Amino acid sequence: MENFTNTTIDTTQLPRFEEVKFSKLHPDYWKVILINTATMFVIFGIAAGFLFYFNEEIAAAQIYAALGFLILIVLTLVFSRIGFKKRGFAFREHDVLFQSGVIATKTIVIPYNRVQHVALHEGVTSRYYGLAKVEIFTAGGSSSDIEIPGIEKGQAENIKQLLMGKIQKQL
Amino acid sequence: MSPSDFSQPQKQSPIGVLVMFFYTLQQYLRALWPMLVIWVFKFDEINKLYLALGTIALIVLIGVVSYLKYLNFTFFLDEENEEFIITEGILNKTKTTIQLNKIQQVNINQSLIQKFVGVYALDVDTAGSSKKEGSIKAISHNLALELKARLLENERKPIAAGPESEQSIVAEASPEEHPFIKISFLTLLKVGITSNYLRSFGLLLLFVSTIYENLSNFTEDDLLENQNFDEYNYFDGTAIFKGILILVTFLFLIVLIINLVRVVFKYFDYKIAKQKGSLLLSFGLLNTKSTIIKPEKVQITTVTRNYFQKKMDILEIKIKQATSGEPEEKKSAIEIPGCSESERDQILKLLFKSIPEKGAMLKPNFRKLVFSIFTTIVLPLSLYLAFAEWMEPEAFEFIYLIPIYVIFVGLILCFSFRNYRLFVSDNFIIKQHGAWDIENEIIEPGKIQAITISQLFWHKKADIGSIILHTAGGNVAFQLGDFTRIKNYVNLWLYEIETSDSNWM
Repeated sequence: MENFTNTTIDTTQLPRFEEVKFSKLHPDYWKVILINTATMFVIFGIAAGFLFYFNEEIAAAQIYAALGFLILIVLTLVFSRIGFKKRGFAFREHDVLFQSGVIATKTIVIPYNRVQHVALHEGVTSRYYGLAKVEIFTAGGSSSDIEIPGIEKGQAENIKQLLMGKIQKQL
Repeated sequence: MSPSDFSQPQKQSPIGVLVMFFYTLQQYLRALWPMLVIWVFKFDEINKLYLALGTIALIVLIGVVSYLKYLNFTFFLDEENEEFIITEGILNKTKTTIQLNKIQQVNINQSLIQKFVGVYALDVDTAGSSKKEGSIKAISHNLALELKARLLENERKPIAAGPESEQSIVAEASPEEHPFIKISFLTLLKVGITSNYLRSFGLLLLFVSTIYENLSNFTEDDLLENQNFDEYNYFDGTAIFKGILILVTFLFLIVLIINLVRVVFKYFDYKIAKQKGSLLLSFGLLNTKSTIIKPEKVQITTVTRNYFQKKMDILEIKIKQATSGEPEEKKSAIEIPGCSESERDQILKLLFKSIPEKGAMLKPNFRKLVFSIFTTIVLPLSLYLAFAEWMEPEAFEFIYLIPIYVIFVGLILCFSFRNYRLFVSDNFIIKQHGAWDIENEIIEPGKIQAITISQLFWHKKADIGSIILHTAGGNVAFQLGDFTRIKNYVNLWLYEIETSDSNWM
């Protein structure tokens, strides 16, 4: 009790989360996004192609369908690019921040002493580029979990170790 | 039996390939069932050889996939760091790391398939979210028991040192000892006639529509419609009006009676007692339910009251706890119907050690009202008008309902906008909302697990934005408030969470 102090904190002097510099995702992750999107569109396109080839009734509309398909691809690419550019993460001394969102800018903050467990996820394409995704879980349900994709494997392992160390310290 | 070594990555029981096979098969069948349906219907048209080959190929594929799944699934205990690590995935690999002292529960289960093969499933559960964090699908019983013991042995230490040693939320202890609050039959009657109109009305509507549907299914032509048509010829306008009035009164009475009966059955003889700082509740007419509330586990406390209840000095309290029990327990909140204001204060004092005060007020921006008017009045009405104009002119017959709808919904929106507030004081965050039933959701900053802040890009200039506070008992969101102030609060709350090791459960 003798060390107990209770001085008033100056709330204007608190560290500000909104001034944090966010680290961008690894540039190679954009290639991962491109490859994944391309795969999806190729499968979708082949399926649509078969449909138009065998079904003569709708064959007349294939120009419009192709046009729509093209617009969809362009839109997806534009939004993915903006989404990729806007995503960023930051590890502060006591919490982890993740920012994302195209229309709305969303920032999630998880204090280290609220982290429940951590997972490393490697997708096929990501693994080819040596990238991994760090998933950070809290007790607050799936909407409060952070998933940081596009981090180099080694760095991701380090982040995981850092997080595990930070959690343990709290007990 | 010698203690097994869990410190090396281990595979599941080899026979587990079979379990994997059935689970993968199940997964594929679920994904492919539309194709299966087509196959069944076109069975005669399809070349039998292709079908047989396709089926064999599918089974071989699933076999290979499940074998690879088996090969790639390992688990081990990292004694040094006190971690339990599960690695899984063939192409997409996931490595889940769970700290042993975060493990709340380890369940050993056996599904039908597993019973058949003679293996067990072991699920590792941490606090909060309802899904299983780690799950081993095939493990022998001995190994499962041993692993469970090892997983929990590390967790015991901090728990035993803590104030709580008992995990379950259902207590056998009888709250008879000294109930300090008893809810009388009269109060229950008051609660019954003043709450949950909507829920009872919905139930009634469901009931009536089911009956109606069954009737019209069983009779060849629409019986009820014909009857109505006949009656039209006998009655004049005023009689119809009277009929509607009687019907409405009748409906209202039925809703009231349903409510009354439901409340009395559910909450009869409601008693609250104190025991070692916890609240013991017991209630129910036919089967008495007992529940225990531990203050440190309480996440969100909601106090609800409407205009009538205010006049009668009753209110309802709902308490959401962080539990590590069954999923259905996690979702449900504990309700205390019909407390008076002084009783509410007593309960809140027990839960929070002080009565939560409403601090600085945050109001939503007027855009929130505009937006809700747009989505609930403008949009549906224009859809309706467009539908009537271009597709079904008969729909214009109901046009006289528009003013009623606009006034009714408009009033609800105005009241909800007026009641939509966030109060922030040093120790409590209170979110008030609701049009008729006004709810006050109370949380302590220490219970926050994570914070989400979001802002639409066209709201930057107006400096408004939204915040979601995630707790282990659900989220509390506040939309379109003063963004600068919200950000300041976030910084303050983060500071409070990070500088103290407050026990959130």
